[in-house]
Amino acid sequence: MIPSVPSGDAAFRVADRIRAPEPWEVFAERIRRYEIHLNGSVVELTRGPIVTEGYGIRLLRSREGKTATGFQASTDFSDEGIRTVVEDAEAVARHSIFPAKDPTLPSSSPTTAAHPEIVDPVLWSQPMETLEAFVHALTSPFDGRKNEVLSFGSVRASLIETSLANSSGLRGAYEHTMVEFEAAVKAFGGPEGPPPGEYWVNELARWLDPEGIPSEVAKWCQYAQDVRRAGRPPTGQLPVVLPTNVLATILPIVFGARFTGAARLREIAPPIGSKVSSPVVTVHDDGLYPWGCFSSPLDDEGTSQRGRTLIEAGEVSELLYDSLHASALSASPTGNAIRIPEFGGLRESRRFTHPPGEAVTTLVIPPGSGGTDAELIQAAGDGIWVQQLGWAFPDPISGAFGGEIRIGYRIRGGKLAEPVRGGTVGGVVMAPPGSPSLLADTIAVGSTTDVAEQLASPPLLVRPLVVAGD
Amino acid sequence: MADLRDHEPDLERLLTRLGPRCPFAEVMAERRSGEGILVERRSTTPQEQPRLQGAVVRAWAGTRWVEAACSALDFGALSVVGDSVQRSLEAISSQAPPPGESTTTTKEWATAPAHPVGELGMDGLARLGHDILGWATSVHGVRECRVALGWADDQRVYANTAGARCFQTISRVRATVIPIAMENGNVEFDFLGRGGVGGRELFDFLTEESVRQVSQDAIDLLHAKAPPTGEMEVLLDASVAGLLAHESFGHGTEADQFVRDRSYLKPILGQTVGPEELTIVDDGSFPGGWGSIYFDDEGHPGQKTLLVEGGRFVGALHDRETASLLNAHATGNTRRADFLSRAFVRMTNTYVEPGDWTVEELIAETKNGVLLERGSSGIEDPLGGRMQLKVKKGRRIENGKVTDLVRSMALSGKVLDFLRDVRGVARAPDFWIEPGYCGKGHTDLLPVGTGGAHLLSTAVVGPA
Repeated sequence: MIPSVPSGDAAFRVADRIRAPEPWEVFAERIRRYEIHLNGSVVELTRGPIVTEGYGIRLLRSREGKTATGFQASTDFSDEGIRTVVEDAEAVARHSIFPAKDPTLPSSSPTTAAHPEIVDPVLWSQPMETLEAFVHALTSPFDGRKNEVLSFGSVRASLIETSLANSSGLRGAYEHTMVEFEAAVKAFGGPEGPPPGEYWVNELARWLDPEGIPSEVAKWCQYAQDVRRAGRPPTGQLPVVLPTNVLATILPIVFGARFTGAARLREIAPPIGSKVSSPVVTVHDDGLYPWGCFSSPLDDEGTSQRGRTLIEAGEVSELLYDSLHASALSASPTGNAIRIPEFGGLRESRRFTHPPGEAVTTLVIPPGSGGTDAELIQAAGDGIWVQQLGWAFPDPISGAFGGEIRIGYRIRGGKLAEPVRGGTVGGVVMAPPGSPSLLADTIAVGSTTDVAEQLASPPLLVRPLVVAGD
Repeated sequence: MADLRDHEPDLERLLTRLGPRCPFAEVMAERRSGEGILVERRSTTPQEQPRLQGAVVRAWAGTRWVEAACSALDFGALSVVGDSVQRSLEAISSQAPPPGESTTTTKEWATAPAHPVGELGMDGLARLGHDILGWATSVHGVRECRVALGWADDQRVYANTAGARCFQTISRVRATVIPIAMENGNVEFDFLGRGGVGGRELFDFLTEESVRQVSQDAIDLLHAKAPPTGEMEVLLDASVAGLLAHESFGHGTEADQFVRDRSYLKPILGQTVGPEELTIVDDGSFPGGWGSIYFDDEGHPGQKTLLVEGGRFVGALHDRETASLLNAHATGNTRRADFLSRAFVRMTNTYVEPGDWTVEELIAETKNGVLLERGSSGIEDPLGGRMQLKVKKGRRIENGKVTDLVRSMALSGKVLDFLRDVRGVARAPDFWIEPGYCGKGHTDLLPVGTGGAHLLSTAVVGPA
């Protein structure tokens, strides 16, 4: 057993009552969610607790030399409920086929799984009070501001007890917290001035940081004001600096679709050893990254988390596997079995309703020699710093990405210049050798890491990307 | 599971308990069932809809709403929810009435398809899926294809302390085919999809001809040219026009954004925003529409709301609260993603009504532009009034003729400039509602439909 803190035992309770041939596994969650929603700076709705307790059972069955999987989820913990779920899963398995032969589920050993920091202890002990304190910290800085207001905001905190059990003897449990925060800052003011501008913030994190909010508010207000005076970007192929928050909307989805066993099975994964990026880029996946949104001691089928290297100095070195794909492709599970919808679903709040699939945890691009933000800007010479895209909507299969520049800054003579807004910027994340792509054309990696959702990375200087503006 | 209506007595007891303690309370209980299958070349993955059910209670606490919810429907679990709501109510002393009018509707509705997809069973879904896979991969160059077929019944009960009691079952059916083509390290795909409220007839579009065609389209994309860059004439196909109606215009008509002073459209209600032939609608009662509902999560019936009529911006979407604050009527657009999610003003089926041009006439009208096809995504900018729409592919139009196939693109610009510059809207004899999901911000995804007809205007495009 792995828990270092008291945890829910829902999976164990179900596992003890499963009457089904092996192999099987149970993944369970007890989720308590609390929310505060603001209209302007005024509370319009408080919610909580929103309580969900449920489990999913997956059965693995041999069929024609391959594996059939059956999965069903429920919130009914009665004996009859569990029996019904097993019957559903057996029925589903009769129509399933997967090219793995006798896959092995993780067993109870090793018992030394590392425990990354994933619990906000204050939030855990006093959820609604902590949310209220955060909301106070969020709204207070606006009291003294004449030209910026909060349009709306919401903060949602989930306290999650996760437990896993399987027929190989695994029993694991851990607790974690998750916070979703959204707000929009509106800037206005000045006689006959331009129309209001807005900066829209949307973040996913493991903890609430009321103390850091005032300085963040100051930045958001500046961005919102800059929106008002922004001009259109130029058209052409330009050096572009993409900060971590923009890269976080692009890279994890594409890597999750192309650097996995599922991608290899579909023949769309890059071959090991192939060159897919410039040599200045190295990419790891780290399921133990401190406060990472997908960090945990165990992945969602019980394999201990660890770090892996996906790209080393431009060359593909490893792919990500869950148990089924590892078995089908003669590889080992890497701790990347995650229960979210394929090709996305980072914000899935009920993982127990999904069977495991493969996804990245936290992508880590180590700091490079590109220097500070100012040095990256200097290296760009004449280009654009893209502060926020409408949404990158990366295409997980082709790797195409791009969107409207909601706020960015022109780089002129190696210095940050006037704000720009509108037009589009985009390209593809990976392409065959010799073709332009974000990874191949990254010429510098900054030296300071920032963290956004599933990405820990410095800004990247890409030369060039296509910008459509004037 | 038992019929959701079997739990109504317990829901009524909960409301009876909360009634004397607050000016107004309501409960929404939900249960889903269904099945689906994903067929690929090397694997088949069936899945039953998870056996989830639960209820959310909302009460007016004099100055704000309070809510609690649980994932069970036994009276013990509901009592715990009642306790939570009651504690929240005790912290606030005001007994002021809630904003807007409380519904008193009592009615039951259910989708009644002649041939429910559920009758196919998993066997039937698997057979159809493998047929489609075979058609798709029989086209040389297509090595893989994702075929997803499924249906889900969403049952909801709504009741409140004013006497409303509604029950609905909505049967949604969806099919998607994504052939993947590969060549020399390049990977491309195209897609074919339909969805709606109904039965097996929604799979009728899946013919060998249509599937082989989309496979060929995926292969063609491997050799497509880079898209054009900059401001030019853009001819949107029906799917992209639908995305425009929803993302770029519709979100700005959600009246909670009016209340927050966060809509670029609020100051221009009643003004002309486009040519006379431009009409944009949100219609929760559209027959068979993917986003159709019989009643919303405040008990208002799904209905048709004109947003733009004859080029004039005439209407917005309201819940009880925004209707009260803005002197309007609730429009049947209060929706929860599920029983664990809050209610917001949300769209249902949002579309551009077809016009009088033919597509050929609009192409001939275009001197230097691009035809944007297969809308794939978009995002709103309710305050700024800017647009971002993405498409899977397009075709150059030069001197009134369609020329080269080009790869995926994003379209941007100011929505009001774009609408002002609309030069024509085409007829759409095969008008239909496309299925999609919409978040409010980045969460609370729920089914919404979009639709439209070819539409010619001007915007900035670039690769994406």
